[in-house]
Amino acid sequence: MFKIESKNVDFFYGSSQALKNINIAIKPNTVTALIGPSGCGKSTYLRLFNRMNDLIDNTKITGQILIDGEDIYAKGVNVDSLRKKVGMVFQKPNPFPKTIFENVAYGLRVNGISDKKFIEERVETSIKQVALWEEVKDKLKKSAFELSGGQQQRLCIARALAIQPSVILMDEPTSALDPISTSKVEELIYELKSKYTIVIVTHNMQQAGRVSDTTAFFYMGELIEYDNTKNIFTHPKIERTQNYITGRFG
Amino acid sequence: MSHLEVELQQLKAETIKMWTLVNMQLRKGKEALINLDKDLAREVMLSERRVNAYELKLDRDCENIFALFNPVAVDLRCVLAILKINSNLERTGDIAEGIAKFVTNVDNTFDKSLLEITRVVEMYEQAISMMDEVLEAFDKEDTAIARKVFLQDEILDEINIKANKIIANYIRNNTDNVEAALYLLSIIRKLERVGDQSKNMAEEIIFYIEAKVLKHRSVKEQSK
Repeated sequence: MFKIESKNVDFFYGSSQALKNINIAIKPNTVTALIGPSGCGKSTYLRLFNRMNDLIDNTKITGQILIDGEDIYAKGVNVDSLRKKVGMVFQKPNPFPKTIFENVAYGLRVNGISDKKFIEERVETSIKQVALWEEVKDKLKKSAFELSGGQQQRLCIARALAIQPSVILMDEPTSALDPISTSKVEELIYELKSKYTIVIVTHNMQQAGRVSDTTAFFYMGELIEYDNTKNIFTHPKIERTQNYITGRFG
Repeated sequence: MSHLEVELQQLKAETIKMWTLVNMQLRKGKEALINLDKDLAREVMLSERRVNAYELKLDRDCENIFALFNPVAVDLRCVLAILKINSNLERTGDIAEGIAKFVTNVDNTFDKSLLEITRVVEMYEQAISMMDEVLEAFDKEDTAIARKVFLQDEILDEINIKANKIIANYIRNNTDNVEAALYLLSIIRKLERVGDQSKNMAEEIIFYIEAKVLKHRSVKEQSK
């Protein structure tokens, strides 16, 4: 069974169509990279999976997006519950103006959890999962802003993991990071795959090659090619994909 | 044109220069054999150093492109193919040198009738023609030309297989010319290897252009 399925998805910003008939099926415990030039619709598509686009006025979606077989745009779907299941990490690290500990505990507290021991354990586990524990265990009460950009981004990933989602969306998660922090986040994505299904938007072709199992190439709102990442980067079937990944058009 | 495209064009141009040099070695080697021209044979042996220098340069250029440009898809296949073609060309250069060495070593002349009955000159021409065609296929990025080579190689194999009996018979009847006959058998063996190298290079060109792997397939399948 597929973790995420997108069936005939069209998406509009007002009268402008941003996505045209997108069909993708994503297996659980895989990393899927969405690539394509700026404005191709890849970030818009990513944000459909946790209904982030609902926050933008005058948008419309047709078709279906199923997560664990359930249509997330069906009537009566609780968006808060959906977002517990589908965590998100953004381009720039965006920790809250709180302590390192409280950043990770935040999601649990707003979900009504108050058991101190439970929260402590979950915070520690989450920070350990992102390989940040050794770096921050002695300064959990310090402000998250004291951390480096790379550490902040891993903290944001820990914050997403704390509420135990099963899908993690990442929108260019390393574009603001230096190469060492980038490689740590990439290692993390590789490790997280065993427990989560990850969808990542990236402008970095090599990153898509390094971290993902499948790659979807978008161009002008259309899904041009969707295949195993190895196939996309060695012998793509469609010439437009080849032109894009080899840098023959930008 | 992107920086990588410029680098790839230069890489291809260097490969073609090396290829042309190796094919020239084979041509001169053939003339040296037919005319027992030992000076020409020595010239072939000397040019081997230039082939080796090309090999090292192409290896380094490919390594740099991998490291600096991270090529993917058709660009990646192009560099991978050239890396292997580079080795094939160097080996072919070694073969040309080896044949030239036999020509300089032989004391007697090669008996014209022996050259005729073994079909060694025809074999030599066929091998050169295959090398020329694979070069053309590479230059024009034309896999139809590359595919022709697989069938042509069968002629080399046929001449090679028959050579044992022919040379054995000749030696029985011409005991004063055994050495030259044995050298000729060795040359035939080497020419058969030129055919194999050409086929390998044709396979690499098809891999580069069409992303198809033809290694270890039958001639029928390869020629399709």
